[in-house]
Formats: sequence, structure tokens, C-alpha cells
Amino acid sequence: MKAFRAILIKEFRHIFRDSRTLVLILTMPIVLVILFGYTIKNEITNTKIAVLDYSHDTYSKLFIEKMTASTYFQIVKVLNSEKEIEQAFQQGLIHMAVVIPRDFEENIIRKKHSEIQLIIDASNINIATTLDSYGRQITFAFQKEINQLLTNMQAFEINVNMQYNSRLESAYMFIPGNIALIMIIVTALMTSITLSREKETGSWRMLAITPVRQLTMVIAKIIPYMIISLICTIIVILLGIFMFKMPMEGSIALLTLVCILFMLTACAIGVLISVFTKTQQVAMILCMLGLFLPALLLSGFIFPIENMPVVIQLISHIIPTKWFIIALKDIMIKGAGLVTVWLPLTILIASTLVLMGLSVKKLISKNV
Amino acid sequence: MEYSIQVNNLTKKFGDFTSVNNISFDVKKGEIFGLLGANGAGKTTTIRMLCGLLIPTSGTMNVAGFDVFTQGKEIRKHIGYMSQRFSLYEDLSVIENLELFGTIYKLKRDILRKRILQIIARLQMRKYAGSKVEALPLGQKQKLAFATALIHKPEVVFLDEPTSGVDPLVRRDFWNMIYESASEGVTIVVTTHYMDEAEYCNRLCFMNNGKVEIVGNPTDLKIKYQVDNMNDVFHKISHA
Repeated sequence: MKAFRAILIKEFRHIFRDSRTLVLILTMPIVLVILFGYTIKNEITNTKIAVLDYSHDTYSKLFIEKMTASTYFQIVKVLNSEKEIEQAFQQGLIHMAVVIPRDFEENIIRKKHSEIQLIIDASNINIATTLDSYGRQITFAFQKEINQLLTNMQAFEINVNMQYNSRLESAYMFIPGNIALIMIIVTALMTSITLSREKETGSWRMLAITPVRQLTMVIAKIIPYMIISLICTIIVILLGIFMFKMPMEGSIALLTLVCILFMLTACAIGVLISVFTKTQQVAMILCMLGLFLPALLLSGFIFPIENMPVVIQLISHIIPTKWFIIALKDIMIKGAGLVTVWLPLTILIASTLVLMGLSVKKLISKNV
Repeated sequence: MEYSIQVNNLTKKFGDFTSVNNISFDVKKGEIFGLLGANGAGKTTTIRMLCGLLIPTSGTMNVAGFDVFTQGKEIRKHIGYMSQRFSLYEDLSVIENLELFGTIYKLKRDILRKRILQIIARLQMRKYAGSKVEALPLGQKQKLAFATALIHKPEVVFLDEPTSGVDPLVRRDFWNMIYESASEGVTIVVTTHYMDEAEYCNRLCFMNNGKVEIVGNPTDLKIKYQVDNMNDVFHKISHA
């Protein structure tokens, strides 16, 4: 225990002495979140839309007027048939189409079923979500206005139809994605670098001939990085919630559990990488290629997985980052509990156990 | 006669390559025992096995009265090790390095403090004591590494080319430290490429292609090969 503490203190000394790296690690989450947050977030003004009006009555004209009265939308095309909607999307003329059904006014007055359709190009998810909410806002405002005339609760329905990416998979994705990236950088990368640095300088051997067990050495060495990683994660989550209005619906305990599991996975990967590498450079390159890129590309963080070829979709299943992001998103956005996130949770637990076991085994069997 | 190290029929294979091939030798307590040989002769592999860093393919080893295979953990309390590369922590101070290893060896606080003061006085490092090790000249670093390897007063200390890259003046100083420790009863196993250093050893073990060619004291070896310096002994053995 004394030895454990001594190594732990030593590691903290390494970290605080290398203040440049420490500052870099702690500012990185802030920079990443702001960068991703502001490049992805879109303020929408004068979005080009098309209108397909089957009614041509007073209400439909009123509705269209309402849409254009806001600065959000600008009607660039008036359509005459459903076919033209697809064409307009394909030509890139519009981001949204509004379809007003036949007998719009008459149906409302007679309290018959009627629905307005918003067809949104969801290939850019972030624009699409914003369009969706703006479209709904205007429709509700319009409903309110006509309700005052008619005292009818639900005058008509809105049917939002997301084209090209119907489930809006990556909205708010950048916060969970950033958490994952930062955990990989801080935990896996730093762990593998710090371990391979000891091997490179030969100090590992000095420690290895002492009575301290290798496992004790490794655990004492990586705990400081786990703490830093946790701090970074908290920074990202707080930035996400307060700066970018990321919802936090689920339980904090569950969120913490998932984060810790992923951290252990990342740690185990870092240890594994250090077992197979002799120098810091190689460890760094391995981390970048073997961890960072898959995490970036195959986790659904930036590119929606369902748009990828089947083979790559299958490969993506073995990337723990993907499951981590799914769990984070479910917990934070949907407020999911244990019942909903059992699959990603089980996979994370499994990957943590397997990778931890493997790295410990490799570490101990490997000659120094 | 009391032996600190007994090695019998020790072999280490890496795949098809036999690095150490069926070697046997004994080292007496308080002896300075030199392991010599060309690069790749198997010296470093032998030392690493004796330290418990490598597991032998076959053979038996007894270090400081403990069996390497069954009492590995006990042995670790009684050996020290210093490698050719300086391997203390450059970004920690002299005192912090000594404290770290002293604590790892579970020295009591007051004993550790006393030893650190002794070491700093012996190495005349008072002005460096609080500064980072990276600021020390190489010779001083190597002496500090040696002192660190001895901080828990081990019975046997292994020095793997401790003086490579160090200037002759510091090397002489370093060997004085080795003599001091040996006179206190510490058994020293040292590998070196410098044949003048080989002369300082009580006994030498020449290795060639993983085998022990000959073991003897420097004077006997010079007489046996009818030469007047160790360099020629080395050449005669290596090219035999």
C-alpha cells in the first residue's frame, strides 16, 4: 500500500511538472466542444422552402403568409404536384417542403381530420432539427390564431417527414461524441504513452525488480489519468448542458456508471497498446490509428452509421465507442433507464472485462 | 564458503534462438564478479534472469539464498539493479527519486531519511538534492542510480554496463563506490565492455555465444593465456 501510494504520488508529480501537457489536456475538452458546437449548430434564416398548396383557400393562404412572415423561411418555389417535391430536393433548391391538403379550410371548420405535412431534408441533421422545431412553432402559432376564431382544440395535425435520415440519428451527438473522444485521448492515449515512456527510459525495469507487483504499478500509474479524464468529462457535460442546451433527462448515477465503464475500457486498451509497443511514438501512432480514427468514423459520432455499407456497419458493432455514445445519448436525451440501455451497458461491461483481463494477462506474462 | 549466487545448467531460448546455453557458475558473498563477453554473448539475458525479469527455459538459480523459481518475491527484496541506460525519473528531484525507491522497498521513514542524507553526502550532491535529476551531469546520474539500487541495502546488486558513456574520471569514482559496497559485504555482479574495468573485478566470467568459456580471477587468466592485459585475454577467448 505504501508502494502504491509512492507510485501514485510520483505519477501526479510527473503530470504537474509537465504543466504544458496538463493545460493542453484540460483546455482540449473546452476547445473541442466549442469548435464542434459552433460549427455544427446552425442559426437558420431565410431557409429556402417550397409550398404545395392543394386547397388554395383563405386558411391555406393565411398559413403560407404566416410561414413567410417569419424570417426563417423563404418560399422559392410553388409546386403543383408531389412529384415536383422530390425534384426540388434533388436539385438542391429547397430544404423543406410544406404540403397543404385539399379542403384545408373546409375540414378545419367542419372539424374533420386534416393534416399539414412538413417534408424536411434531413441529410444535414442539425439544420433539419432546427427546421423541424421552427416549422412546428409556426404551425402551433397558426393553430392558436384559428382556434381563437373557432374554439377548437386541435384544428389540424402536423406530419413531419424527415427525408434521407429519418431518425435524426446524430442530433446532439457531438456532446456524447466529444466525451468519447476526450476519454480516448486522455485515458487510452495518455495511459499508453506514460507506460511506454517508462519502458523506453528503462525505469519500468527499475520498478519491475522491486517487490512491487506489476499490477499494483500499473494501477497506481493510471489512476491519475482516470481522474483527469473524469474532470474533462464533467467539463464537457457541463458545457453541453449550459452552453448548448443539451438535455440531461436520465439518472446521473447511470451516466456516471457508463462513463466509468468506458473509461476502464479505454484504460485497458491503453495498457494493451503499451504492452505491444516499446516507444512512446509507436504507442501514439497505434492509438491514433487503432482507436481515434475508428472512434471518430465508425461510432456514429460524425457520420450516421446507417448510411454506411453493411460490412462497415457490422464492423462498427465491435467498437466500444459506438455503444458508449448510444448509451450516453439514450440516457441524456431520452432519459433512458437501465431497462433501455441494457444492451450498450452489457456490451460495455463485457468489453471492459475482456480488455481488462487481456491487458492484465498480457502485462504479466510479457517479459520486461 | 558462502555463495550469493548459484547458477546451474541455466538456459534461455527465444524461439529458435538460444541466448543462454546451459551455463553454470557461482558467486561468493561480497565478491565483485564480472560478466564479460561480446555483444550478444548472453550477459544481459543472464542478468535479467538472475533479477527475475526473464523466466529461464531450464536450469536452476539461487540468489541471496532464495530459489528464483519458487521464491521470486523474496529475492526482489534482496537485490538491486542498475542498467546501462540511466533509468531514474528525470523530472523528479534527487531526493524524490531516492524517496520513491526507498518507499517501494518499505524502508521506515526515519531510516530512509538517514540513508538519503548519507547518499547525498557521499555523492557530494548537496547542491543538486532538490533539483531535477535531468540537470545532473551523466556521471553524477549514474552514481545516483547506483546509490538508488543500494538504498535498501541489498545482498546482491546487478550492474549492467554501469559505466558506458561515462568519462574515465567518473568511472574511477564509480569503481571506488563499487569497492566500498563490496567491502560492506554486498555481492556485485557487473557487466562491462571496458577491459581495464575487468581488472578491478575479483573474478571474471567470460561468455561467448551464450556459453561460459572460462571463469577465473584476472591474474590467473592472464597467466593462462600468457598475455599481460585483459584486452588480450578477451581477444584470445573471443577468437578461440
